[in-house]
Amino acid sequence: ILQGDLGPFNPGLPVEVPVWLAINLKQRQKCRLIPPEWMDVAKLEEIREQERKEDTFTPMPSPYYMELTKLLLNYASDNIPKADEIRTLVKDTWDTRVAKLRLSADSFVRQQEAHAKLDNLTLMEINTTGTFLTQALDHMYKLRTNLQPGESSHSQDF
Amino acid sequence: MPSAQKPMRYGHTEGHTDVCFDGTGSCIVTCGSDGDVRIWENLDDDDPKSINVGEKAYSCALKNGRLITAVSNNTVQIHTFPEGAPDGILTRFTMNANHVTFNSDGTKIAAGSSDFMVKVVEVADSSKQKTFRGHDAPVLSLSFDPRDVYLASASCDGSVRVWKIADQTCTTSWPLLQKCNDVINAKSICRLGWQPGSGKLLAIPVDKVVKLYRRETWDSKLDLSDTFITQPLNIVAWSPCGQYLAAGSVDGSIVVWNVETQECIQRMKHEKNYTICGLAWHPKHRQIAYTDTEGNLGLLENVSDGKKPNDKVASTVTKDYNDLFDGDDDDYLNGDMVEPQSSPKAGADEDDGDDDDLRPTLGHLRRAVIDDDDNSVDIGMIKANLNLTEKEDGDDDQTGGFPALPLSSTQQPFYDGPMPTPKQKPFQSGSTPAHLMHRFMVWNSVGIIRCYNDEQDNAIDIEFHDTSIHHATHLPNSLNHTMADLSTEAVLLACESTEELVSKLHCIHFSSWDANKEWTVDMPKDEDIETICLGQGWAACATSALLVRVFTVGGVQKEIFSLPGPVVSMAGHGEQLIIIYHRGTGFDGDQCLGVQLMELGKKKKQILHGDPLSLTKKSYLVWVGFSAEGTPCYVDSEGTVRMLNRGFGNTWIPVCNTREHCKGKSDHYWVVGIHENPQQLRCIPCKGARFPPTLPRPAVAILSFKLPYCQVTTEKGQMEEQYWRSVVFHNHVDYLSKNGYEFDENTKNQAVKEQQELLMKLFALSCKLEREFRCVELADLMTQNVVNLAIKYASRSRKLNLAQQLSEMAVEKASELATAPEDEEEEEDFRKHLNAGSSGREWSRPLVRNVQQDQEMEDAEETACEEAEETPEVPKQRPNPFSKGVTSAEVTTPKSVVIASSSQGRVNPFKVTSNKKDPVVPAANVLDTMSRYSKKTSLSGSRAVNKQNPLVIKPLTPKPKSKQASAASFFQIRTPNSSEKSTEEREEKAGNEPHEVTVAAQENTENRRPKTGFQMWLEENRANILTDNPDLNEAEVIKEGMSRFRMLSSEERMAWTEKAKGGAVNDLTDDKKRKRPTADEDEVKNNQEQNSEDSNLSKKPKPLDQSTNVRLSAFAFKQS
Repeated sequence: ILQGDLGPFNPGLPVEVPVWLAINLKQRQKCRLIPPEWMDVAKLEEIREQERKEDTFTPMPSPYYMELTKLLLNYASDNIPKADEIRTLVKDTWDTRVAKLRLSADSFVRQQEAHAKLDNLTLMEINTTGTFLTQALDHMYKLRTNLQPGESSHSQDF
Repeated sequence: MPSAQKPMRYGHTEGHTDVCFDGTGSCIVTCGSDGDVRIWENLDDDDPKSINVGEKAYSCALKNGRLITAVSNNTVQIHTFPEGAPDGILTRFTMNANHVTFNSDGTKIAAGSSDFMVKVVEVADSSKQKTFRGHDAPVLSLSFDPRDVYLASASCDGSVRVWKIADQTCTTSWPLLQKCNDVINAKSICRLGWQPGSGKLLAIPVDKVVKLYRRETWDSKLDLSDTFITQPLNIVAWSPCGQYLAAGSVDGSIVVWNVETQECIQRMKHEKNYTICGLAWHPKHRQIAYTDTEGNLGLLENVSDGKKPNDKVASTVTKDYNDLFDGDDDDYLNGDMVEPQSSPKAGADEDDGDDDDLRPTLGHLRRAVIDDDDNSVDIGMIKANLNLTEKEDGDDDQTGGFPALPLSSTQQPFYDGPMPTPKQKPFQSGSTPAHLMHRFMVWNSVGIIRCYNDEQDNAIDIEFHDTSIHHATHLPNSLNHTMADLSTEAVLLACESTEELVSKLHCIHFSSWDANKEWTVDMPKDEDIETICLGQGWAACATSALLVRVFTVGGVQKEIFSLPGPVVSMAGHGEQLIIIYHRGTGFDGDQCLGVQLMELGKKKKQILHGDPLSLTKKSYLVWVGFSAEGTPCYVDSEGTVRMLNRGFGNTWIPVCNTREHCKGKSDHYWVVGIHENPQQLRCIPCKGARFPPTLPRPAVAILSFKLPYCQVTTEKGQMEEQYWRSVVFHNHVDYLSKNGYEFDENTKNQAVKEQQELLMKLFALSCKLEREFRCVELADLMTQNVVNLAIKYASRSRKLNLAQQLSEMAVEKASELATAPEDEEEEEDFRKHLNAGSSGREWSRPLVRNVQQDQEMEDAEETACEEAEETPEVPKQRPNPFSKGVTSAEVTTPKSVVIASSSQGRVNPFKVTSNKKDPVVPAANVLDTMSRYSKKTSLSGSRAVNKQNPLVIKPLTPKPKSKQASAASFFQIRTPNSSEKSTEEREEKAGNEPHEVTVAAQENTENRRPKTGFQMWLEENRANILTDNPDLNEAEVIKEGMSRFRMLSSEERMAWTEKAKGGAVNDLTDDKKRKRPTADEDEVKNNQEQNSEDSNLSKKPKPLDQSTNVRLSAFAFKQS
């Protein structure tokens, strides 16, 4: 499944490769990784501030920012300057976003909206709440539909 | 008035800045809103020393090794200078101080703050403070009376006050300024100034004039103004001699007056019109440093009024002291003679020594302070204090009483010409400056050597890009090596000599097969290694004795030779050694470098004999080395990369400007390597610096090359650039082959192909633009094969004249090739390149190969051709479905022939096809009429006729006409070694061609359809008919044929029709094949011409042709 033509590899020259290969090579100590441009304390700080300031989701530097951070920091923290700070920053951003997500899910349910639109969500974020939310909504729907006839029957009964 | 305004440079971030000189004028000190104080050696200092003093620095003052700054935490701090160590807090305010200033002997400072207070504090004892209350708004600026009696202050309340320091009372106050509530809102920061020396005048910038007030009487003496000033003045500064006054305005003008004469001697405008907020005179030279509110630092040099120095002295000297000064003058002159460069110093020293009687009379604080810097602080201080007590004689000694400085400034050698540039120091390519604690000693294509030199560790780290060469190593750097080079064989290190140790060269020859991997060589005493380099099997070092010493990599001393000048840098690659040295002194910022390139191997020759090295104006060399393929290259500080163009008399050609790729003005690319194939400039992007830090580990970026050709936005310019770039970047192939290195043959072929393709495109472009002359010029650059293509293209796009010109040229080229024996040699070479394996004696084979490359080109040409056809020039032709048919027929014809000819070695699948269409037909008469006809039409130029059958005529007629005679010889040259068979083939072609033309003609004149079954049949049976009825003419033959054809059975007829279709299909397939990369395209072209020639020539050899044709076709049938 994992395949493709890559290279040419020259000693000392950066080459763009898929993450899986990069991690693999790194694990075999065959390469050094160059972190993506956004993986930089100053930039991430800016992103975090922006994320905190705005009520809506701000666009992330990469749709896989969380995954990439996790992978790169786990396997190649020695190639990334200020790895710890980056870890905290990304975690902060992630927390802020997930909190926002919960909040919006909460208000969505509370206000019994039919639909809502969330921009700039990454796949990972969607997946954290996606299954739960849809199931929960299903359940709620069932409860509500049960509730209405229940109420009417209730009034009929008593 | 030669005053040079140097371009401003970035000093601090935006915001208020201040500037001052240190006591000797050796450096400029600036502070800015970034909270840093920077110490600049000069304006070009790229690595100023920074001292962080706080969050924001509002003002700084420097005297006697103490740096006072007013910072945003409301304090006034002291730092030591130049170390920058904090030395305590002098005083605090409740708001930040806006201005700090020293008194003239540096014992006190005055600070004015936004909390309306002014404080005077003793530097030595911060508890001795005096506070001056009275301003009703933030204090803007302050100035000490040079005699320490008064203090002047300006405030946002609009007043300028003079205080008596002793009792802190306000002596006088002028409401001069506009009122405002804060410093930020103030129109002008009103930096005022007492005249140095006597303190007779107080200068205050008020709106657009400078008001001068007299001491004691406090009346306005005069106003200095100038029409040049259009905006309020922000700041005034007296020259140290007290003769000149500089003022800077909020719109960036700087004006200098001679106060005595009130004459404006200098006007200058800030390049961006930013507000000048700092202004300082050099204590000795006629320089003014200034800063603006955007954080830039500038320097104004040679400020003078152009008068003769002695006149000025005379004019400034007061009568009472005239005789004294006469003597003094002489002293100074003597001093100048002894040491003209540092006349102020010399003068002062001498003065100290022998003019003791002069001393008390002259004795002046300011003077003493200056002496301090030269001699010792203590004595100077004592003297100064003594003088202070002794001297209270008042105004008399004013300007004249202070001769040292005016003299020093005027007695400078008066030279307006270009100034020599300091010679750049020797360096190792790919290293960062040696003073850094962590630095790269070398970064090249082999690896990286880093050097750590801090408290814990003094070590060298060697790391290889390719760990298969050698593993990374870590060495202690006990000898304090500063230079290093790295190759795939060895590591070379060198250190300069110290007091105890001589300069050493140290080689770690890790690829050695014996146990001793290291050797060291000591240089003779007093000879320092300046640069080193490694090549293949050798090492070299250049020393301060202007010697280059060559060693083998094992440590045997070999050649030694002298350099014409101090070395700048060296680099090695293979057997080549390039040395760059100072050829002489450059002027006005330029370096004057020379270059030697030599080969050290067996040949031992010098290629470049100390030629001048071309550098961008006002730049210096930053990198020199070889491309991976061995072409010398270098980079200058302006980012221009130049490469040796071996193909053009060893000239240097700029191949890349890295500055074009930079985003910011202060960004640079630090070059680490150059590759010609693929074309890569490997470098490290450095933000805001010239070189990268060691940590985080910088990543290599790749830049592409671009020759600085004109109009690269246009298609033409682009292609020209590409073409020449390709040529330049493949010079190394020739070089390598000439020197017997192995190289990749494919590269060469690809390069040739690429270049020819580009030429062909350019040709097509010029053709489209009706630039026929240009076309010919382009064709001149093409190889033979491509010229033929070009001819074809030209003829197809109806450019008869052009085609003719081209074919003439082709013939010329061919004959040149044939005659010149040297050319032969080259050909040999060429052949060798092309088919290293094959015998090389046969021309046909290399050609065939060649064609392979040209195939794509032809495709390109084809498309271009189609494009051309779409141009309105030939729309009539377009709808004609036949046109294509004919062209293809025309192309295919020779093709089939080619195939025959190239079938020497292998079985040719097309042969049948070709021969199928090669029935024996006596087409001579038809052809004759046709060719004659076509000739006639083309000559007469009748459009109508041309339209009738232009496609047959046009491509054919012009070529034969021009080429007939010479082309034959040309062909012979090309196939001198081929067997008889080839001649036969040629004849066959000749036979073939007319037949095809006939067919084409028939088609043309008849119903303009592809061959019908009948035609096929007729061709086959014509001979029969003719033998039966030898006296029939053409029409009758056809008629007869028709009747016979009808007589055939329907099956037979069907078969013929099928055959005809098949033939057509074959035609088509042939047509397609042309686009496929078959190997024969080239010969197609050659032979095509050949054919066309022969078609005209073929009348006589016809009978023979026919017979051969028959024989051949029979042979072919057998084969198939």
